[in-house]
Amino acid sequence: MSHIHIEVKDLSFSYGQDRKILDRISFTAREKDAIGIIGANGAGKSTLLKLLVGLLDGFEGSIRVEEIPVEKRTLQRVREKIGYVFQDADNQLFSVNVYDDVAFGPRNYGLPEEEVDRRVRKALARVHLEGFDEKPVHRLSGGEKKLVSIATILSMTPDILLMDEPSAALDPRNRRNLIRILGEFDHLKILTSHDLDFIWDTCSRVLVLHQGGILYDGDPDTILRDEKTLAMVGLELPLSLTVR
Amino acid sequence: MSRISGAIHEMQTIEESASRDQWVNRLHPLVKFLVTLFYLVCVVSCGRYDLPRVLGLALYPFVLFELTDLPLGQALCRLRLVLPLVCIVGIFNPLLDRRPGAELLGFTLTLGLLSMLTLMAKGILTVLASYLLVATTPVEGLCAAMRMVHIPRMIVVEFLLIWRYLSLFMNEVQKTTEAYRLRAPGQKGIAMKYWGSLMGSMLLRSIDRAGEVYEAMCLRGFTGDFPSGRFPGAGRRDLVYLAGFGAGILFLRLFPVLVLIGSIVAR
Ligand SMILES: Nc1ncnc2c1ncn2[C@@H]1O[C@H](COP(=O)(O)OP(=O)(O)O)[C@@H](O)[C@H]1O
Ligand SMILES: [Mg+2]
Repeated sequence: MSHIHIEVKDLSFSYGQDRKILDRISFTAREKDAIGIIGANGAGKSTLLKLLVGLLDGFEGSIRVEEIPVEKRTLQRVREKIGYVFQDADNQLFSVNVYDDVAFGPRNYGLPEEEVDRRVRKALARVHLEGFDEKPVHRLSGGEKKLVSIATILSMTPDILLMDEPSAALDPRNRRNLIRILGEFDHLKILTSHDLDFIWDTCSRVLVLHQGGILYDGDPDTILRDEKTLAMVGLELPLSLTVR
Repeated sequence: MSRISGAIHEMQTIEESASRDQWVNRLHPLVKFLVTLFYLVCVVSCGRYDLPRVLGLALYPFVLFELTDLPLGQALCRLRLVLPLVCIVGIFNPLLDRRPGAELLGFTLTLGLLSMLTLMAKGILTVLASYLLVATTPVEGLCAAMRMVHIPRMIVVEFLLIWRYLSLFMNEVQKTTEAYRLRAPGQKGIAMKYWGSLMGSMLLRSIDRAGEVYEAMCLRGFTGDFPSGRFPGAGRRDLVYLAGFGAGILFLRLFPVLVLIGSIVAR
């Protein structure tokens, strides 16, 4: 049995005084898992990912990342292990050119400049953007920005990759590209999406979030063919399973 | 192109020119920062009526524009919003102080006029020198330099975030005005009654985005420090630049070059 990378126990969370967005959810994620979190808009998918990297505080229950409890004091260590790719690449990229943005993380960890350079080139190669280093970020297309934002995370060599709605706003070619890149990342990855075809192509396990709880946790095959349950949580069968 | 997207475009080209691969850009940011700071002090400390000395100091930006082949015209055009502001400062001085100050080509310049011209020249020169610094140094480099001279971390981080926030805000302004214009064709500008709600939504959205940008930085190990690994110790080139420009500026500050040249020519 591969060892546990993320362990969530009785996690509850709400923004302010409002209703609970997440209500006592528990799950564990292992080294090679590729987990897709699905659910309707507003089900709390993004909230869950942000909790895992410690961007939100004031939750109840416990979150452990590679045995380290997520709390203020441990954030630095947790974040060295987890890479989080934002839904909106525009907010993730803030440097003038691609190279500096991808180098930002490694530089902050105080790596020597040769190592930074090695990592930047490797990360760009993994998203197939070799030769993009001098390009100004604001001149990139939406799909290229997404790939660069993934490279900015890969350059920090995380053990775990979290991605919020990675396929949103990608054209078919970049989408295929992304599916391949995700396939090549052979550590734990957790993605959220309401694009079930994308989940079908990239995940080996699916969690369904519904009304603050986990309604289903298991293999994609069963749930993605279960029209009734999907309809109940406000989702539809993946296209690739409906057309024959 | 609308005025706003024009402004965004200009900010981006300033940042792009800052990351060009060119010898001035490659100089150590601390060296450029110190030279600029020294220049600003020299300009500001000139006497109220000491126009010749201030004009002599104008040599520095012009030499630098020449060396960096940044177009001066473009710079003036980009600074067209700021320059009138710095020029307006002394505008009443000629009315307030009519004592005779100097003779020029048979005309008598009053002290008021002299002090106005001196103030304007000082304003323009400080703006140009700051522009040259920003246009040849990436913002991270500037922050790293500020940290090296022990400007408090809080202030430097604030500077960085405001810099980033500005472009986000202008971006939101652009999106919002475009959305407005598409649904109000043929209208010039934005009707006054919508200003409040548009402004509010732009502020909220850009603050949200700025928050996310800051989170993205923290997730990638940003702790408010600017790693200086990228800028290894200053090299020979940097020291030559520092010494050369430092001495040049000091010379211009100590000796009113224009007056000297004038007296030589007159003789
Ligand atoms: N910063 C916030 N403050 C208050 N409520 C929020 C905030 N962010 C999200 N929410 C609310 O939390 C719920 C879950 O949001 P989110 O996790 O973004 O859902 P999803 O990603 O599944 O679409 C939504 O009802 C949303 O309105
Ligand atoms: Mg979401």
